Amino acid sequence: MSLISKIKRAAGIDTAREKYAYGKDARFGKVAASRVADQWVKTTCGYCSVGCGMLIGVKDGKAVAARGNPEHPVNLGKLCPKGLSEHHILASPERATQPMLRKNGELVPVSWDEALDTMVERIGAIQAKYGFPSLGVVGTGQLLTEEYYTLGKLVQLGFRTPNNDGNTTLCMASAVSGYKLSFGSDGPPGSYEDLALADVVLLVGSNIADNHPILCHRLERGPERTLIVVDPRVTKTAMMADIHLAIKPRGDIALLNGIAYILIRDGLIDREYIARHTSGFEEFSRFVAEFTPERVAQVTGLRIDRIEQVAQLYGRAKAGFIGWTMGVNHSTQGAVTVAAINNLALITGNIGRLGAAPFSLTGQCNAMGTRESGFTSALPGYRKYENAQHREELAAIWNVDVNTIPTERGMAYPDIIEGAVAGKIKALWFVATNPVVSFPNYALLEQALKSVEFMVVQDGFHPTPTSDFADLVLPAAMWGEKEGTYTNSERRISKVNRIVAPPGEARPDFDIFLNIAERLGVREMLYPGWTTTHDAYKEWQRVSAGRMCDYSPYTWEQIEAAGGIQWGGDRLYADGIYPTEDGRAILHCVPCDPFVEQPNHEYNFILNTGRTVEHWHTRTKTARVEMLNGMVPNAWLEMNPVDAERLKLRSHDHVTVISRRGKVADLELRITSIVAPGQVFMPFHFAETNSNRVTLGAFDPISREPNFKQCAVKVQKTVAH
Amino acid sequence: MALPLHERAVDGQSPALVRLTENGLVFDRVAVKTSLIPHRELAEGEQYRFHFDMTKCIGCRSCEVACNEQNGNPADILWRRIGELEGGSYPETQRHYLSMGCNHCLDADCLRGCPVDAYTKDPLTGIVVHSADACIGCSYCVWNCPYSVPQFNAERGVVGKCDMCKGRLEDGLEPACVNACPESAIEIEIVNMAEWRQNFAAADSPGLPSANQTISTTRITLPERTGAELERVDAGQIQPEHAHLPLVYMTSLMQGVSGALWVLLSWHGLDAVRLAILLGITSAALTLSTLHLGRPAYAWRALKMWRRSWLSREVLLFTLFAGALASATLVTAAVELNRAVPSGLVKSLDWSAAVLGLAGTLASAAIYLVRARPAWNTVHTPIDFVLTAALLGSLLAVLLEEGSRLLPVPSAFRIAPDAFYRPSYGAWLVAIATAAWLVNQGVRALRLKDSGVVESRATFSLLAGQSFRPHLIGAIALALVSVLCAAAGHASFAMACGFASVLLARYLFFVSVVPLNMALTFVRNRPQGVHA
Repeated sequence: MSLISKIKRAAGIDTAREKYAYGKDARFGKVAASRVADQWVKTTCGYCSVGCGMLIGVKDGKAVAARGNPEHPVNLGKLCPKGLSEHHILASPERATQPMLRKNGELVPVSWDEALDTMVERIGAIQAKYGFPSLGVVGTGQLLTEEYYTLGKLVQLGFRTPNNDGNTTLCMASAVSGYKLSFGSDGPPGSYEDLALADVVLLVGSNIADNHPILCHRLERGPERTLIVVDPRVTKTAMMADIHLAIKPRGDIALLNGIAYILIRDGLIDREYIARHTSGFEEFSRFVAEFTPERVAQVTGLRIDRIEQVAQLYGRAKAGFIGWTMGVNHSTQGAVTVAAINNLALITGNIGRLGAAPFSLTGQCNAMGTRESGFTSALPGYRKYENAQHREELAAIWNVDVNTIPTERGMAYPDIIEGAVAGKIKALWFVATNPVVSFPNYALLEQALKSVEFMVVQDGFHPTPTSDFADLVLPAAMWGEKEGTYTNSERRISKVNRIVAPPGEARPDFDIFLNIAERLGVREMLYPGWTTTHDAYKEWQRVSAGRMCDYSPYTWEQIEAAGGIQWGGDRLYADGIYPTEDGRAILHCVPCDPFVEQPNHEYNFILNTGRTVEHWHTRTKTARVEMLNGMVPNAWLEMNPVDAERLKLRSHDHVTVISRRGKVADLELRITSIVAPGQVFMPFHFAETNSNRVTLGAFDPISREPNFKQCAVKVQKTVAH
Repeated sequence: MALPLHERAVDGQSPALVRLTENGLVFDRVAVKTSLIPHRELAEGEQYRFHFDMTKCIGCRSCEVACNEQNGNPADILWRRIGELEGGSYPETQRHYLSMGCNHCLDADCLRGCPVDAYTKDPLTGIVVHSADACIGCSYCVWNCPYSVPQFNAERGVVGKCDMCKGRLEDGLEPACVNACPESAIEIEIVNMAEWRQNFAAADSPGLPSANQTISTTRITLPERTGAELERVDAGQIQPEHAHLPLVYMTSLMQGVSGALWVLLSWHGLDAVRLAILLGITSAALTLSTLHLGRPAYAWRALKMWRRSWLSREVLLFTLFAGALASATLVTAAVELNRAVPSGLVKSLDWSAAVLGLAGTLASAAIYLVRARPAWNTVHTPIDFVLTAALLGSLLAVLLEEGSRLLPVPSAFRIAPDAFYRPSYGAWLVAIATAAWLVNQGVRALRLKDSGVVESRATFSLLAGQSFRPHLIGAIALALVSVLCAAAGHASFAMACGFASVLLARYLFFVSVVPLNMALTFVRNRPQGVHA
C-alpha cells in the first residue's frame, strides 16, 4: 500500500468500497462483487459421501463462489457450511506445490523426475531386499474412482504388493463387511429417497445433523413419520427425533436382537419373505429368544416400554428404514452389528422396496467408488480374491497372467501399521490421508512411521502432521483440480470436474500414478494408451460390466447430465435375490459382547469421539477456511454436570484426558447434559489435541475397523505449562 | 427463483415428496409453502420481517457461511450468527439453536443513537438499512443494539449489518440465509407494524434480550417441548470489551478541563495563561477523540443529529465549549494587555465556557446510558463523570495555581488575583473529590454485584477477576497517593497520580462492560471488530 493510500485509509477517506461492492451474478442475482462469476462449473462436493451437486463460480481462472446445484437430485440446491465455502481451499497458501525429498534430515524441494526416480528406486531396493510385500500402501476415499482403480492396479500388479488398503477402513469397512455377511456382497440397498418415504426411520449411531446435514431435509418433522435415534449422546440428530433412545455405549446389538425378539414374539415379521429369501431363521429365532426386553433393558439402560414401543413401531411400519454411521462402524463388533441391523430388515421384509432399507451412510465423498473399484479388501467390481473365476475375468480384461492376481487379501490398514512396527513393512506410501491425526493409538503409529525405511506422502497440502514424517512428499492436485467421478452413499455416480489448475507443480494423482508406472516399466501393460482419467473410466466400465456395481451403461456425459446416476437403480434386491451361493440372504446370530476397554476405578470415564459440522476429518482442508476455523477453532471435551461437580471442574477449564496409551491436554471443558454421567466426548478433528493419542488400537476381526468410539480414560485439570 | 424443493412439490412429479398413506403408496402432494419470501406487495403500515423456526433448525451454520459469502465479509464479522441453547438433564436434554441476523426493530436503537443519520428504516420495506458512505465508524450503534448486531469492520473503518439482502428481495430473490438453509427454517414474512407493536410476544426467545427494548420484528417459532428451561451455553465465557483508548483519554481530559474551569472560576484564578493551557488540553483531547472513529476525516459529520443523538450533542457542546474557551482566552489576554473590552464580557465568556463544559460532560455521560450495556446504564455513570471533573479539575486547578507562575510568559499575562486561593483549600478539595469519586465507584461495584441483570453481574466478575485486579488496585492506590501528594503540596505528583488513577478506572469502565447480546455458541467465535 502506498503512503497516500495508507493515509487515506487511516483518515477514513477510503473505505475499501470496491472490495465490498455488490454486483449482479447472471445466475444467482445480487451478491458481493467478489463472488460474481464469469462461468459456473458443475461438480460434486469433495467432502462427505452425501454427494451434493455443486456449481463453482469461476472468474479469471479462480474459484470465487460455491453454490448448491438447484437441479441436483441429492441436495436440491442446498449445501452445508463446508460445501458453501469449499472454493476457498483451492487457493490456500498451505497447498503442497513442489515435490520435497528428505536430504540430510531436511525436506528440500526437488524436481518431479528426481522425486519419482528416487521413489521407484528406494522402494525397488527395499522390495528387492525384503520382498514385494514389504511395501504398504494406504489410499483414500478422497480420490476419484478412476484414480483409485488406477492406483489398485499400480500397487498390486506394478509394485506387486498385496498390502494395499484405504483410509476407508477407518470409516466404513464394517458396513462393507456387514453387507457381505448378510447379503453376500457390499452395496447399500436403499436410496436417500427412502428416508423421505419411510414411515419409521431408525438411525443407529448416526448424527446426520452434524455429519450429513443435507440429508436432514428428507426427514421433515411431522405426523407422517416417526424418527427414532439410537445414540448414547444427545446429538443434534437426537433432537430431531420423535424418540431418542439414549443407549449405553455398545448396547446396540442387544437392542437390535431385542427388537428381533419382540417382532418374532408378536408375529410382526414377514414369514413369506423369510421363507423365500433368507436362510438361518430357525437358529436366529432361537438365538434372539434370550434377548428378552428385561435383559435388553439391563444391557442398554433403556426402559422396557421404550424398547417395546420401538419394536412395535418398526414391526408395524409400512416402510421401515434403518440408517447407521460411525456409532456402529467404529467398533470391534461393527461388522456383526451391521449384520444385526440387516437381520431386522430381512425378517420384516423391509428391504428392496420404497422407503425400506438397511442403509449405511458412508463417510468420504468417494468411499463408495473406492470400495467398488479398489483392489484392496476385494478385487475391483466387488469380486473376491478367493474366487478363481473372478480372478480369471480380471486377468482376461487386463491381459495379464492370472497368477499375478493375489488369491487372498493382503494386509488391512491396521495390519500394515502393525506390520511396520513388526518389521514386515519397510516402505509406506500414504495417498491423500493423514494417519497421524486419523489413526487410533498414535503411540503405535508413530513407532510404525519411524520404523520404516522409506515413507512417501502424497497430499494436496504440505506440511501436514503426516508429511512431517515423510521422506518424500508428492504435491497432489485435489478436488476442483481434476476430472472423474465420485460415488455417494446411495450408489449415485456423480461427475467431478476440473475448475482450476493445480497450484505450482502439483499434479493430479492419476498423472503421478502413470508417471510411476512408467518408471516401473509397467505403464503399457497396465494402462495401454491411457492419458486421462477417462481412459481409466472406460476400462473400469468394462471391469464392472455385469457386476452388481455396473458402471458400463453410463457415460460421463450421461452422468453429468442426469445429476448423477445410481448404479443398480433406486434399490437393490427388489427381487429378493441375493448374491450368495443359494441366492438367499443370511440371518446371523450376533452375540452381544461388552466393548473392549471398560472403565474401572482409575480410568473411570468412557471416551466417545466424533465430529462437528464445521470441520472435515483432520482439518487439512477446513482449517484453511477462515470462516469454518473461526467457528470452531479448538477442540472441547463434553462432560456431564454431575461428573464436573464431583471433579470440581468448571466450564472452559483446560482439561487433560488420559488413557493407558497417552494423553491429550488443553481441551476446553464443556459441562453439558448432552453426554451421560460417566461418559465424555471429544471431536477428533484436531491435530493439536489429537484424540488418537488416547484411543484404543483394537480392531474389528472381520472388517479391521478400529474401535474409535469407546475407551477408558480419566480427566484432570491441565497443569499450566 | 432457486426454490427447487417447492417447485418440485408444486410441479408434482418429484418422488422426493411422495408420502405413504393408509392406502399404501400414493403420490400425495404435501402442502408446502410455495415460497420462503412474500409474493405480494407490502400494504400501508406493513414491513418485512424474518421468521425463524427453532423446531426446524439443526444448527448446521450454512446460513452464517452463506451470509458471509453473500456480503464478502471477513471471517470475524458475522452478520448472521448461530446461538446454542441447552436445558434439562440427561437423557431428557434439550438443545436448540438460534439463527439471527438483524431484527429490523420497530424502535431501532441503532438508528436513534446514530450521530450521522447513517441508518434509515426503509419506508417501503421497514428494513433497517445502514449506509457505509454516511457512517463515520463511531460504533455508537454497536453499543446501542441489544442484540450486538452492527459490527465494526476495521478494514473499512465503518460499521456494517444485515440488510435482509434488500437488493435481492427487490429482485424477487430470497436473502442468502433463507436460500441457504437446508431446513427452510428461515423465511421472510410480512408484518403489520401496528398490530405487532400491540403484541410482539413471538419475538421473545430464550437466549435473546427482551424484545420490548426495541420491538424486534423477528418472529420465532419455539419448540413445544418446554419441560426444561433453555439456557444459553456461552455464558461461562465473558470477554472484555474493547478499551477505546482515545475515549479513555478524551473523556478524562475533557472532564478535567471543565472541572478546572469551575474551580479556577470560583477562586477567581483565571488568567490568559491558564485559560490557554486549558484550551490546549481541550484541543488535544478533541483531536484525540477523532482517532476513536473509523473515519476521522469525517468527524465533523457527528454534529449532524444533535436533535436526536447524545453523541452529536456531546460533540456539539464540547465544540461550543472549545469556542467559548478560546474566546475567553483571547478576551482575557486583551484585557491583560489593557485593550478596551466591553464590561462583563470576560465574565460571561468564562461562565459560558464553564456551563458548556458541564453540559458537555453530562451529554458525554448520557452517551453511556444505553440499555444494551446495563453496567453503564446507571446513575453512577453521570455521577462518575461529574466527580471525575471535580477530582481532575481540582488537581489541575491546584497545579495551575502552583505552577503556571513558573512558566516563561510575559508578566502582563500573570495578573490573576489569587485572593480566593489557599493551598489548603486545594488539598481539601482534592481530598473530598477523591473520596466522593471512590465512594461512587465502590457503590457502583456493589450494586453491579447484586444486580438482577446477568450482564451487570458479569461486569462485576470481570472487575473482580484476575485479569483486571491489578488495574483496580492500582486505580485505588493511585487515588490515595494523589490525595497525600496534594496534602503535602506536591501538585504535579498529585496531578500525575490522580490522572493515572482516573485513566485506569476509565479503562476498566470500557473493558468491563458486558453488552446484551444474543446467545452464541459454546466455542464462542465472537466477531471481534477491532476498533481504535
